[in-house]
Amino acid sequence: MVFGFTKRNNFEGGGIVLFTSVEEAIAAEKVLKAGEYETKLVAPPPDLRKGCDLALEINLVEKTGVERMLRAKNLSFLEILPVKSGSELLQVVQVTDFGGAIMVKAGNMKLTFDRGSGVILNVSGGGCPDIPYLHAEMLDKKLAEAPRPRDVGYTLCSLMLDRAFVESLDIWSNGRK
Amino acid sequence: MYLICGTVPKKDLPLTLGVVKFLGPVISLDGVEIPCTQGTAALISAACVTAGYLRLSPPRALLVGDDGTGKGSRVLYDYLIKNISAMSPGVLLLHYMLPVMGLMKKVCESASKTKKRLFMIADAAAMYAAKAAGLAASFDVFTPDLSEMAFLADPDAMHPAYVSRHLFESDASKIPELVAAAYRHKNAAKMLMVKGSTDYIAADGKIVGTISEPDVPALEAIGGTGDTISGMAGAFICGGFRPLDAARATFRANRMAGQYAGATPATRIREIIEALPRVFDEHLEEWKKAENSS
Repeated sequence: MVFGFTKRNNFEGGGIVLFTSVEEAIAAEKVLKAGEYETKLVAPPPDLRKGCDLALEINLVEKTGVERMLRAKNLSFLEILPVKSGSELLQVVQVTDFGGAIMVKAGNMKLTFDRGSGVILNVSGGGCPDIPYLHAEMLDKKLAEAPRPRDVGYTLCSLMLDRAFVESLDIWSNGRK
Repeated sequence: MYLICGTVPKKDLPLTLGVVKFLGPVISLDGVEIPCTQGTAALISAACVTAGYLRLSPPRALLVGDDGTGKGSRVLYDYLIKNISAMSPGVLLLHYMLPVMGLMKKVCESASKTKKRLFMIADAAAMYAAKAAGLAASFDVFTPDLSEMAFLADPDAMHPAYVSRHLFESDASKIPELVAAAYRHKNAAKMLMVKGSTDYIAADGKIVGTISEPDVPALEAIGGTGDTISGMAGAFICGGFRPLDAARATFRANRMAGQYAGATPATRIREIIEALPRVFDEHLEEWKKAENSS
């Protein structure tokens, strides 16, 4: 049984894009709406206020795709932050040595590559819809030849996978020197 | 009915509902073949194999293509909001979908209107949305790994990418503390199945079971080994297992399948799933007897 696509439901974000000027915020809203992102012009919460008095609420999980779209349209913005203050994007990575393979973990994502060849053996963890897609795109490719998750994915899971990917590339490159 | 809902990396797949079959390299839904890889396809494969072994009706799946833009996910949410109450599956499992808090709230509202209460399981980003929207307690089972357990324990995090560093750096020995924090902040389902080097089962804020044998460290690296856990657990629940017994059988079977498949970091999830029938043949009765006598 196949169903058609229907209109969207209500939006509840959790992320906020900050701008220097009101004009930038309005232009960004137009571009993101055209790209079918759900957005809402809002006043930034007092503790996050930087730049102008207008911000865009977005679904925080879509940070990667939103950033890419704004940059592609040459629209400047100051920062994308969670509405709840105090939260920072994880920067730390953890490395597990399996002997012939190395697993790099960033947030909820793990990338495992062959120590000798640099071929990506597995991608695990995560939960956003771009991860199974990235899994299929990256497996069996050499780290140096695989697409960067940040350039292909749309979500925070892909951003975490990008962190693991960059660290893996670094470990593998240094191991060859 | 065991209904599994999620997205698959087949961008052009419209929302499709039907009985799913595990065919080895692929699953089949309404004539559409989807590769058995990490994500909802792996979950469905494990669910089909388990349901088949238990001689249950095969699971039904509600799947849509989504490459991460969230377009397919929104269609899926929309359908669930409008139809889940009438469909009233016995077990509802929500899996890979863009986490959208407002839509998850509406899904839970609709699910609460069924005549018979649904048994609700969430894994992957459906679990992220449920927690971020403050709906964790509406669910019967969450299946987090260690990093996701840290996310549930962090009252402010909207996604595991924003977990506090000190929580992210917790090792597996801290799981009981993370579990307690998640329940304290009302960010846990009724039962948590925490997958890791030692698997933990928690209910009502307390650890009620651990499984650590056989030890197969490579399982953590293999994409889909968490998905198989959720899929199996749902099938065991459908088969009449009590949730705690379902959790124990699931964790044991996943580990044993990893051992039988000779898991290495390069193993593919399909190889683990294909080892499950042998695991069930050789161990399920023995595990059931042990549960009944405890």
